[in-house]
Amino acid sequence: MAQLRDDYSQFVDRDVEVVVVGPEDAAAFSKYWKAESLPFVGIPDPTYGVLKLYGQEINLFKLGRMPAQVLIDRAGVARFVHYGHSMQDIPKNDEVLALADEINSSQRPSA
Amino acid sequence: MPRVSLDAIAPDFSLPDFNGDLVSLSDFRGRKNVLLVFNRTFA
Repeated sequence: MAQLRDDYSQFVDRDVEVVVVGPEDAAAFSKYWKAESLPFVGIPDPTYGVLKLYGQEINLFKLGRMPAQVLIDRAGVARFVHYGHSMQDIPKNDEVLALADEINSSQRPSA
Repeated sequence: MPRVSLDAIAPDFSLPDFNGDLVSLSDFRGRKNVLLVFNRTFA
C-alpha cells in the first residue's frame, strides 16, 4: 500500500483513481488511512460483496487473501486483471502505469 | 469463483467509503481510469 502511496502522483497524472477494497470495517480503514497518510479511496467491504463479485481468492488455510488488481478504463472495461498467487504477488506500479499510458493514448476523455 | 475477464465491462458496485460517502464504479465512467486494488488485510 505504501508503494501505491509513493507513486500516487504518477497515477493522478495519468487520470487513474486508485480504489482500495478490503474486508475490514470503516474504523479500521480510517485508522490505517490516517496512520499511513493514504491519499486514495478506501472502501470497507465487510460482507465481501465486492470481493466476491471480483472473485478475490479467499484462502481459509492461510487466513489471508490473495492480492488482486484490476485496471479499468474510462469506458468501464477491464484492461488489466491480475490475481496474485501469493501475498507478495502484486504487479509493479511501473507495469500498471505503462498500461495506463497505453490506455490514455488510445482513449482520450471526451472534452 | 467468478473472475473478471480481460476486455470485458468490469462489474459495477456501490458501497460507502470509510467516510460514509457512496462510491460507485460507474461514477468514474467517462471521466477517469480506475485501479481497483484488493489487498491483504492491514494487520
